[in-house]
Amino acid sequence: MATTREPPYAGYTAPPTAQYGGPETYQPDLYPDDATGTWEDEQQSPTLNRPPQRQTRQRQQPAELQRADRSRVDEWMDKDFKFGGSHIKRKALALVLLGLPAVVPLFFMAPAFFTMNVATFAGSVDDTLGTGAEICLFLCLLVSPMVTLTGQRWFFPLRRWYGIMFAFSGIGDMLAAGLTDNFAGGFFGKVAGHVFELMGFMMVMLAIPLLITGNHWAQRKLGRYWKQLQRITYVIWGLLFFHLSLLEGLGFQNGNGHNGSGNPGDGDPIFHQRLYEYAACSLFLLTLRLPPVKRWIAARQREGRNWLVWVTIAPIFALFIFGMIFCFNEEIFKGFDSFMEHPSAE
Amino acid sequence: MSETYADDYEREPVGGFIVVAISILSAVLVLAGLFYAAGAHARTKSALAVNNCEPSMSPSGLPCNSQQMVIGEYNGIVNPASKLLATDMAAYIVNERHHLAAAEAALTSEVATEQALDKSLAAIAYTSQNYANAINLITIAFDSGGSTPGAAILLTPQATVIANAAVRDNQALATLTTEQARSKSLTQLRSFNTRVEADTAAVQAEMKLIGKTLATPITAAQEP
Repeated sequence: MATTREPPYAGYTAPPTAQYGGPETYQPDLYPDDATGTWEDEQQSPTLNRPPQRQTRQRQQPAELQRADRSRVDEWMDKDFKFGGSHIKRKALALVLLGLPAVVPLFFMAPAFFTMNVATFAGSVDDTLGTGAEICLFLCLLVSPMVTLTGQRWFFPLRRWYGIMFAFSGIGDMLAAGLTDNFAGGFFGKVAGHVFELMGFMMVMLAIPLLITGNHWAQRKLGRYWKQLQRITYVIWGLLFFHLSLLEGLGFQNGNGHNGSGNPGDGDPIFHQRLYEYAACSLFLLTLRLPPVKRWIAARQREGRNWLVWVTIAPIFALFIFGMIFCFNEEIFKGFDSFMEHPSAE
Repeated sequence: MSETYADDYEREPVGGFIVVAISILSAVLVLAGLFYAAGAHARTKSALAVNNCEPSMSPSGLPCNSQQMVIGEYNGIVNPASKLLATDMAAYIVNERHHLAAAEAALTSEVATEQALDKSLAAIAYTSQNYANAINLITIAFDSGGSTPGAAILLTPQATVIANAAVRDNQALATLTTEQARSKSLTQLRSFNTRVEADTAAVQAEMKLIGKTLATPITAAQEP
């Protein structure tokens, strides 16, 4: 007799795909946290946090329309366009373009690597690859808040990509520092001889298991432990605070052109204090991860008042952009000098 | 405020409070940053003036660096190379009597460092264009009665002559070290030692002279 039974966990495996344009675009358990978890839960069980009698029909309608808008973006991104006789997904092209900045730090160091220019490595690899790794980490951490704010998920794969490139840049930075830095001691003396270096070394060591397990095969093998393992990303984020704090005198180091950041391209020492940049960027990334804030955003989105979320978040996002501008400035200025094998002093 | 909104805020008071508080803080910080950034040009100009560097006097294409920045840039190139050379030399001394292959490997590494140093030094300042810029820079300062900009220090004819000699001698040293690294026996290898030491001493003396020249404020007598 043919059975009509469903698998016992069937109800849990199907994500609420309608708003995201299908399961192929949505990988709920692939990354450390699921930013939209709050409002997904609310969508699945609207009575969980909100008495149904409070919801009027007028209130529900705009929210539904808004989610339909969001799904339309994901659906639009899922469509193909024709280029040179072949069909390319819009999403694929957008992801490639948005993912390109992640390879820039390694690209900047490539000439010095191929010519084995030790002076360039010793002079500016920390700035080029270190700042590059920092940027990649921030962009990796930016994906979840942007999903929370926009409800779109087509750019979700960027989180894995930026995470991987963060690990490569960090490992490259560590190897170059260990081989070419002026600090006393052998390789380990150079990469872990000072406390700030030890923090950086620990970050890289923690990034290695994340890099190794950053694939579907590892995800399947590790099961529920995979997500817990990936939460190490937050430990790395925390260690970066100590790394940068100790690197530049707890944010108070300043001076006559040789400030904590060392010869900034625009000559301004304050904006190039890496700890300040870290704080400016992290405030946004952290705020959007706080559960009460996520619930507040979900409530506003459910009301169809996403504009209120954007207005409220705008100054925090502006501060994030402010911090990132100087990270990019540092990366481009020092990186270009590295590319020309004419390194800027750190 | 409608009943529904009030109800939502009642249910999410913490989230709303956090967002609003952080948002206000962020707005203050962004405004303070913009206000500070508005004065960046004037600050940079006055900082450069303190270091005898007037941006307006810079010929096009010449970075107007302070003396400290020039010295920092120079040290950023020379110091790592010195450390690497010291390590390679120590490895050579340990192996010159027992392990031909290891000694040759140390010499090969020395050659790579010497060549990289040459390339970096040549790139930093001692091009004909930079030399011409330096002359122009110094002439403008001299004619206007102002002090010589720090950026010109690295590009003075005196420093350039020494640096060119240092680069030339360093290339000779690299060639000699390459020959030494091709030795077939330990005896042949050691036979180069005296010549290599003499060349090394010459380069060292020139590098010290450059460092001294950079660290010394330029005087009118040195100007062209």
